[in-house]
Amino acid sequence: MSHRILAAVTTLTVVLALWLVVPVHLSGQAFWPKDTPKIPMAPTWIAQKAKLPPYTPPRTPDGVPDFQGMWDGAGGDGAADIEDHEYLDVTTPAEETFISDPPDGKVPYLPWALAKHREIRAGLGRGWPGESGPRTHGAPRSLCLNSMPRVNVDGGQEIIQKPGYVIILASTIGNWHRVIPTDGRPHVGPNAKFWLGNSRGRWEGDTLVVEVTNLNGRGWFDTAGNIYTENTRMVERWRLVDANTIDYEVTIEDPTIYTRPWKINHPKRRDGTDKRNLRGTAFAATAPSQAAAAGFTENVRPAAVDPYEKEVWETACFEGNHENTVTQHELGFKWFKGVTPPK
Amino acid sequence: MKRWFVGFLLGLTAIFALTPMPGLGQTPATTPYTPPRTRDGHPDLQGIWQALNTAADDLEAHNASLGVPPGPGVVEGGAIPYQPSALARKKENFEKRATLDPETKCLLPGVPRITYMPGPFQIVQQADKVSILYEYRNAVRNIYMNGNPHPRGPIEWWMGDSRGRWEGNTLVVDVIYFNADTWFDRAGNFHSEALHVVERYTPTTPYHLLYEATIEDPKVFTRPWKISMPLYRRQEKEVEVLENACPAYLLEREWDNPTSTYFR
Repeated sequence: MSHRILAAVTTLTVVLALWLVVPVHLSGQAFWPKDTPKIPMAPTWIAQKAKLPPYTPPRTPDGVPDFQGMWDGAGGDGAADIEDHEYLDVTTPAEETFISDPPDGKVPYLPWALAKHREIRAGLGRGWPGESGPRTHGAPRSLCLNSMPRVNVDGGQEIIQKPGYVIILASTIGNWHRVIPTDGRPHVGPNAKFWLGNSRGRWEGDTLVVEVTNLNGRGWFDTAGNIYTENTRMVERWRLVDANTIDYEVTIEDPTIYTRPWKINHPKRRDGTDKRNLRGTAFAATAPSQAAAAGFTENVRPAAVDPYEKEVWETACFEGNHENTVTQHELGFKWFKGVTPPK
Repeated sequence: MKRWFVGFLLGLTAIFALTPMPGLGQTPATTPYTPPRTRDGHPDLQGIWQALNTAADDLEAHNASLGVPPGPGVVEGGAIPYQPSALARKKENFEKRATLDPETKCLLPGVPRITYMPGPFQIVQQADKVSILYEYRNAVRNIYMNGNPHPRGPIEWWMGDSRGRWEGNTLVVDVIYFNADTWFDRAGNFHSEALHVVERYTPTTPYHLLYEATIEDPKVFTRPWKISMPLYRRQEKEVEVLENACPAYLLEREWDNPTSTYFR
């Protein structure tokens, strides 16, 4: 993914959001025309990967599969809604569900949780069909608060491997990092809760399996109010299916909010190799002069040959988001404190 | 002075220099430490490190006050060489630090401040860059060593633009392109966007890095000045850099506070 484009688009998205007078959706990395075909996600990926030939990944000097390099998120609209949805506006094209299991592509909420999800969704002020209620919550991500598993979906990442560690760094949006030990150590104590949880990895054949616990239950899967709790456990499975594609699957387990474990599944493409055109048209945002005209001179790079193309430059999401935070607050959106399952 | 006498003095000096003097310094300057090498052949500074001092409170010497431990300061020569008008601003910053300190707004703290914020950071080396993963703000800093010079400005970044090189066993980092919105500490020591920082990370034992930062800002100071401090390798078994999502805690506190001044 072009960091030059993303840097400009991230800032321009703030402008767009204020123009729409809705919460900012930094995940919207592009502007989508209304006739954009539905973005393929889990159902298409399941069919595609079933036809892939076996692949033996290269190894690091330590003998484990080598995932190192720069990787895109899931593409598309960056999980505006992880369930299948139709075109909403220029930031949110029609998109297939991210959910590979259950087969209906829906989050298998318990009844109380489904009611809560619908209540949140009805008051997002976002223009989703059926919105009616009073303002509920803005998506945590729109306040630049990163959470699992969205960090894998809506932005680029760099993966670095060291003996006993897999390290994942934010490469496009904001600041976050995961250092995942693969040495068999236990999780930190259960009272410590984190937006990104606490990750422990292991190798199963060529698959990196990461157990994520200690989640604080404050994050959303998307911008549409799909939620989990602080009891939730996520098990990620990272597997290279060709030199430039990771099959990313995460199983979400939490009997206090879901009827059964469920899975998100999508490919992640190596930076610069995605030919699917899943990012819409970043029209004027690519032109430095346009970004400058919008008042964003800082992150704009030279338009010509760019020796800095592969570098990760500062995005400082939270620092640039204050006006949007104020707007959300003034519009009456409430702070999301997580949900507590009934006893 | 007689030639033999000079030789005698030099000899004596050498003897003293080579004699370990317990209690006088933590790292007797006998033989320089040779750090292990990475696969790329560079000094291996990787691991989890942390400052252990009160620089986050005040770079200069300070007595204790409520909630603030005392400290001898980390500025070489003792005092930061402010221009007169800048010194007045520093004093004003100090008086109003409860509201003006960018830390109270959870903003990225800049360089070198992030180095001595409470909490550890992890250094991760690759051939073309050194990444530092800070616990504070979960900040990721990429120090490029790929041969690219600082890009063409003007650029103003919270953490600046970092370009590194090796000088012997020392990682030298040149940082420019800051904004004027970060401070050096909680005492109101500040800079302008013209700030230029040169950091030096020198391994002195398997468990210590000497951290030095030369600070230059012709709009604020009369001359370049320097801070230095050891960084300590965290010794706990299975230590890890955890999450410090400062903005989340701040927004949670302010969101439902009817007297909050944050949302304006």
